Amino acid sequence: MNPILVYCRRDLIRWFRGKWGFISAMVMPAAWLLFVGLALPISFTDNYIDFVTPGILVMTILSASLAGGGLLILDRMLGFFNKFLALPPPRESILFGKILVISIRGIIQSTIILCFAFLLGAKLYTPSQLAGTYLILFIFGALLASAAASIAIYLDDHDQYAAANAMITMPLFFSSSAMMPYEQMPSWLVPVAHINPLSFAIDGIRIFQTGEIPLTQIGFLSILCVFIIGVAVHVFRKVQV
Amino acid sequence: MEKEAKNDARYSIVTYDLTKKYGDLCAVNQVNLSVGTEIFGILGPNGSGKTTTVLMLTTLLEPTQGTAEVCGYNIHTEPRKVRESISYVPQDMAVDVRLTGRENVHMFAELYGVQNPAERSEEVLRILELSDRADEYAKVYSGGMRRRLELAQALVHNPKVLFLDEPTVGLDVAARKKIWEHIKKLRNAGMTIFVTTHYMDEADKYCDRVAIIDHGTIKAIDTPENLKKIISQDVISVSVTGPYTGVDLPGVRFAFFEDESIVFYADSGDEALPQIKDALSANGVTVTAMSLRKPSLDDVFLHLVGTEEDKGPFNLSTFRNMTRRRG
Repeated sequence: MNPILVYCRRDLIRWFRGKWGFISAMVMPAAWLLFVGLALPISFTDNYIDFVTPGILVMTILSASLAGGGLLILDRMLGFFNKFLALPPPRESILFGKILVISIRGIIQSTIILCFAFLLGAKLYTPSQLAGTYLILFIFGALLASAAASIAIYLDDHDQYAAANAMITMPLFFSSSAMMPYEQMPSWLVPVAHINPLSFAIDGIRIFQTGEIPLTQIGFLSILCVFIIGVAVHVFRKVQV
Repeated sequence: MEKEAKNDARYSIVTYDLTKKYGDLCAVNQVNLSVGTEIFGILGPNGSGKTTTVLMLTTLLEPTQGTAEVCGYNIHTEPRKVRESISYVPQDMAVDVRLTGRENVHMFAELYGVQNPAERSEEVLRILELSDRADEYAKVYSGGMRRRLELAQALVHNPKVLFLDEPTVGLDVAARKKIWEHIKKLRNAGMTIFVTTHYMDEADKYCDRVAIIDHGTIKAIDTPENLKKIISQDVISVSVTGPYTGVDLPGVRFAFFEDESIVFYADSGDEALPQIKDALSANGVTVTAMSLRKPSLDDVFLHLVGTEEDKGPFNLSTFRNMTRRRG
């Protein structure tokens, strides 16, 4: 069995068996969808849940990825990392294992959110819209997982990482196009939202919903993803124990 | 010339001036070792460079200078070959508590690319006497069982060299003994065991050869027997009340202060005991207890690393506490 799959399976088993991490990962995005999607007094559209679902999907991938960085820190603090590094497979298979497990977790969570959104009255996606959505979420997940892994290796401390995590997540989410369209934003936020990578993923999913193919967004995310994976591989090869 | 002589098939680990510096601090200083099929102990206090040496030999850390060969492969140019031939068990006791014992071992079998992972996992679990409880989560395993589980993980691919970093730290007496018995069996089966420890008595009892390291420098390498011959005298430990001002007796030499006691080396311990007592009493010092023993590895260690002029009694006892945190 490929070492990447072995590492991935290990983390998935630990996730399922560690019940509360799993339950929380399921409940949190559903709560967002319910309270943000249905409860906010929105005037620019009469079906806000359609609008906000891509934002919640991307936010879920964001938090799943950052949690994945936390897994890496714990592995390192508890001594697993050193054991793995002394094994024959190349170092970066640990990284790719983490990227894979985060992507799988993200996809499972996204599926649950989508089902929940459809239940709450969002317009059903066609199979090709679904495929496009998953494609973007996968690229975005790999991008964020690599970024999170690099930050985790760099910070090398659980508390520091949790602090960095909180500092990154909130501003990144609210400065994206997740909650409101560009036309509704205050003018100072528009340029920030336009360069926010989250917006690229969210806009991409929305463009798929209109029936077009968001080549710009997919292209930008793919290039950024390849670049960040490169950085993460470099960081992994250089890491000092 | 020397290097070529050392580089032969009898040795599974050979180091050449292996050095690691962290800024100004020299963690490991020009270490030259040749280790064959034996239990080789590297002995030193915390922070003396034991673990750093192991990390370099297991390819986890790049040496600043010098190099090493493990199983004939260079740690710098053929790290993967090295990792395929060895196993490394760090100090931390990292087993996945949410996996069963069997799953823990099976995962490593797959990561090592073992041909028949399931069979091989069963085999090592049996060898380490974990078969009965292999289906339980590692969460319920005791410290000794977790350590054996780690050994099972390490042995699953039949390594030629096994690196163990403080294998018995934190274990009770029975569990420690069991771990060492397993290690001895492995050595008898032809494996090289490279073990770091700061427990002198264990090194004395179980290691075939011992290297004493302090501040990154190897002070001596030999069998425990030969090391103890460095101190060819008896060791006398005297507990006193009152200020010690020194004794001058033929065949008796002051060694060092140890906690509240004064330690002497004597050519003939039996005769020296009453002499020391009399001499101390004459100086107005009250002797409260005396003991006579053969030199242990502890004494050799203190003799080699702790007798520099600048180290007063206070330093020595601190040192002592550091090296024997056993309570």
